[in-house]
Amino acid sequence: MRSSKLAVLAFAALAVAGCAHQPSADDPKVRGIGYVRVTDVLKKHPLYPQLSQIQDAIDGLGLKSLGPNAVPRTQAQIAQQTKELNRELQQAQDRANGILRQKQQDYAQREQAAIRAALGAAGAGTNGSQPVQQMQNVSSAQAQQVAAQANADFNAYQQGVIAQDNAAVQQISKQLSDRADREYRQRATQLQEKESQLSLELSQQDASKRLDLRMKLNSLALPDAQRKQYRDQLAGLDKNEAAIVAAQREKDQKALADYQKQLQEQTRAQITAQAQKIHDATRSKLASRHNEVSQQVASQMQGLQPQAIPSNLPAATRDKLAQIDRQYKDAFKADAQKTIQQYQSTKADLDAQYQALQSADGTASVSASKELAQLQKQRDDLYNKMVDQIKRDAGTVAAKRGLQVVFMNIEGAGGGIDLTDDVEKDIESLHQ
Amino acid sequence: MNIRKTYRLLAAVAALALIAAPSAIAADLTGVGFIDQAAIGALPQFQKANQQVAQYKSQLDSQFAAQMKHAKNPSDQQRIAAQFQQKFLDKQREVLGPLFGRAQTAIAQVSANQKLGVVVDKRIVVYGGQDITKNVMDLVNGPGAVVPPSATPPPATIGYVDQSQLENVPKIKQANDNFTKYASDQRANAMKQMQGAKNDQKQQQQIFQSYQKSLSDQQHKLLDPLVQQTRDAISKVASQKGLILIVDRSDVIYGGTDITSDVQNALK
Repeated sequence: MRSSKLAVLAFAALAVAGCAHQPSADDPKVRGIGYVRVTDVLKKHPLYPQLSQIQDAIDGLGLKSLGPNAVPRTQAQIAQQTKELNRELQQAQDRANGILRQKQQDYAQREQAAIRAALGAAGAGTNGSQPVQQMQNVSSAQAQQVAAQANADFNAYQQGVIAQDNAAVQQISKQLSDRADREYRQRATQLQEKESQLSLELSQQDASKRLDLRMKLNSLALPDAQRKQYRDQLAGLDKNEAAIVAAQREKDQKALADYQKQLQEQTRAQITAQAQKIHDATRSKLASRHNEVSQQVASQMQGLQPQAIPSNLPAATRDKLAQIDRQYKDAFKADAQKTIQQYQSTKADLDAQYQALQSADGTASVSASKELAQLQKQRDDLYNKMVDQIKRDAGTVAAKRGLQVVFMNIEGAGGGIDLTDDVEKDIESLHQ
Repeated sequence: MNIRKTYRLLAAVAALALIAAPSAIAADLTGVGFIDQAAIGALPQFQKANQQVAQYKSQLDSQFAAQMKHAKNPSDQQRIAAQFQQKFLDKQREVLGPLFGRAQTAIAQVSANQKLGVVVDKRIVVYGGQDITKNVMDLVNGPGAVVPPSATPPPATIGYVDQSQLENVPKIKQANDNFTKYASDQRANAMKQMQGAKNDQKQQQQIFQSYQKSLSDQQHKLLDPLVQQTRDAISKVASQKGLILIVDRSDVIYGGTDITSDVQNALK
């Protein structure tokens, strides 16, 4: 019985000693004010590991953005992959053109041999070289027609691509200009608020003088000269305040003008850089199309029209030569078609990759930003829940300590009571 | 019997006064009020004014686009842009200016009536303080002009610093710039390594962790000492000026003591 009383007394003494090192709420260096470092308490909260886990998941998205298998997210990555695709396409075109050229030569040589043999069999002998040579001369009119058509197609495409280029540059210019406008307006609003505050402070400073003058002016028995003097003083106060506010406004306007100039220069530089990228992409598209057209022209040039057969040959020989020409042309067409199909297949695959690449940035951003938004919401909800609990506990501790007001997120303390340790213990004990 | 009752009542009142006294004294000493700024911003007149400004802006945008089409050169474009910017600002000042002014005056008047030395944003108050949101809203919504208080705010127990200005102190700015450059270089380096890691998830994880660690180490080395120096300087100035706590400028709505320049000088 005696020992238990002693224990209680000892515990009470310890409790008093524990409180003794901190000042009381009415201490001049406290004046009823306390504070809590919420970021420190959060780390002791039982839900902190969960919060960290969500944060890790958010960081994980950052890891994906650095990974090689990630969908490209930067302009530089897209540019690099576009360059690789362009190279692959170029190689496919060169390969197809090379094969076609080789086939053309093979078929031409075989046709020449067949024609020589036919002429020999018909008794034309070595004179057969002249008709063969004549047949080799592809009609220049046909060639010019094919080239003209190809040029017209290319020009139409070029105009379309250039129009797209202009639209893209305009769009990016608008976006960057809008952003600069927003920043400018934000700064302007800040300065405006500052001016309002100044105006209010000035009117407060002069409020007692103004009230005094107005009361004096209310007196009916005031001589005219005196009344004028008071009115002038009142007007003087107004004028002085207006002058100070106007001076501040002028200063702010100058600062704003300088800021606008800086923003304009910055925006101009950004627009130039973006426009350069767009122009580079356009040049690349045009170069690619040019290669395609060249290949088509080459393909069409390969004498798909029947060649002119010299008219001085006998009718049977002419028929034979025409048949040989058709036979080899048809065989070449069928063979070349296979090569062209192979090339088209490769090109379709590369086109799909281009398209995926062009939309990748947007798609990846949308997908990643959705995931990020979800995670951030989860984190914010949990964070708010934890902070609310810390606030409630801080309130309980503050009431026990007789404090009148408790702050969080402070920058520094010249006094007050730091409740962080108490709240940390409280939070920990609540969940033990 | 009546006399006895009276004495009992007096004794009860005296006891009540004793219980209530410490908190009453403390309330007078703190002089801290707070406002829910979102509630003020949601007042119909503020929302209407914001809509009006937004509507005006959309009208201006189409006029602006039309005029820009006829601009002959970049300087012409700049002139038109500046002209429209000014128009927008004038409208903003015209529509929102009086509302801001009225709200500021209302806050000043309520603060003066309640002898508050400082009014802060609701979000930083964990416990206690005086919520003056409703009083301010009543004044803002009330008829007639809101009269500015004749008295200036009483000496505040709370001070504030403008962090954005402290960031311009040369050694802090230098440290921030150095850290930003370091972070950018490290990121570029990590990206190169990631390209080399191909499909090796484990290696990717290691690269990312190493990247994060390097940033964290550099932050401890470059920035943490300055953060501590700044905190110490703020606390020292606060003690010298008899201020209990210092908060960020953005959290202060009315009153308070600005110690930014003192802290800037202490950090030089």
